Amino acid sequence: MKLDTTGLESALPLFGANCQMVDGFTAAPAFELPTTLDFDGFQKEAIQMVKPAKGTTTLAFIFKEGVMVAADSRASMGGYISSQSVKKIIEINPYMLGTMAGGAADCQFWHRNLGIKCRLHELANKRRISVTGASKLLANILYSYRGMGLSVGTMIAGWDETGPGLYYVDSEGGRLKGPRFSVGSGSPYAYGVLDSGYRYDMSIEEAAELARRAIYHATFRDGASGGVASVYHVGPNGWKKLSGDDVGELHYKYYPVTPSTVEQEMVEVSAA
Amino acid sequence: MSIFEYNGSALVAMVGKNCFAIASDRRLGVQLQTIATDFQRISKVHDRLFIGLSGLATDAQTLHQRLMFRHKLYQLREERDMKPETFASLVSALLYEKRFGPYFCQPVIAGLSDGDKPFICTTDSIGAKELAKDFVVAGTAGDSLYGACEAMFKPDMEPEELFETLSQALLASVDRDCLSGWGGHIYVVTPTEVKECTLKGRMD
Repeated sequence: MKLDTTGLESALPLFGANCQMVDGFTAAPAFELPTTLDFDGFQKEAIQMVKPAKGTTTLAFIFKEGVMVAADSRASMGGYISSQSVKKIIEINPYMLGTMAGGAADCQFWHRNLGIKCRLHELANKRRISVTGASKLLANILYSYRGMGLSVGTMIAGWDETGPGLYYVDSEGGRLKGPRFSVGSGSPYAYGVLDSGYRYDMSIEEAAELARRAIYHATFRDGASGGVASVYHVGPNGWKKLSGDDVGELHYKYYPVTPSTVEQEMVEVSAA
Repeated sequence: MSIFEYNGSALVAMVGKNCFAIASDRRLGVQLQTIATDFQRISKVHDRLFIGLSGLATDAQTLHQRLMFRHKLYQLREERDMKPETFASLVSALLYEKRFGPYFCQPVIAGLSDGDKPFICTTDSIGAKELAKDFVVAGTAGDSLYGACEAMFKPDMEPEELFETLSQALLASVDRDCLSGWGGHIYVVTPTEVKECTLKGRMD
């Protein structure tokens, strides 16, 4: 293994050398300071600007038949709903899905970047990349940008040679392997439904209904989640979109309006 | 989020032909979490006068209790109901009393004054009255409500048409606001009757 001695080299050559060789190295090492009023706090400010944006609900869980992935579709800017039809489940390649929570631009860009890296791995090694490998690639990229204000809370779900795989990766550099995850401001509500209804040996329909219901309950209680509950299934042959139900209609399907008793009814008064 | 957006609300009142309608959403939340979906924001002062209070729910409740108290005293002394214009001045005065520590509310007052002429008005949190001839809005969904009402309003609408228009404007606006919605409440008041309806809306 070649030793990494970049730390030992000095910028200035010790013995006299030709000017052409040391062009670009004659000046003392310096780095550019950002032009800002608050040198100590500007990075934190950049993070805070993006941070409130994790208004969403996404979830994924492993069960007997593969991985079930579900998400809502609302994008909010503070109190304003900017869109009710955002695609939060990103198709990295035909057998791997990523979920979006946090900054939309960050998630879209880095997931596409991950897709590119996975394809390059396939071409170089003549076999598909594992979910472990793909999530590690993304986690390492995000770790190197730690502290710069990226906001990404994603789950990588896929099916590889070892079976179904699910990893949680975030912009702080964390990477966790687990059977059930939910990410976003609506995640506490989704966890409540998901944890109480989960069984390993569910059928695909039962698992899809559990995922749909968990997202619906999160959209009901959380102001920053709503729109359409999309449910995807990842099986041995890749992912398939199972449903995309509007949660406004789901509510009246789960809790239909019942006619209530009349409290006060107007009657015609006979003329005196 | 600001203190006015802590609980979330949407309120609108619109004028029709010898009638008015006042509508609100039904959500009570704590920032992003929804606590209740049947919160009453509009209350009856008397048969021809309604007040809706948007903003911080605790201040809305306290202000409502103080206004009911003052109105009951007025009824005992004057032996008649308060006119909407007078009530609006009362609200304005009560709010300005707390000029340097205000109630974080924005009231919407709607009533039928002399000659069955509809009267609507809103004030800001320290009592500046804004009288309007067509509609007034308040709450976190206020900006959306302005747009929807401006587009859908027509002068001299009959009660049925007014009900339809106001319901559509309210539901369209709260569907663009994270902090309000979860159904709607609407009162349509004419000189002879008061119609109260609950609106079925998106529950997300």
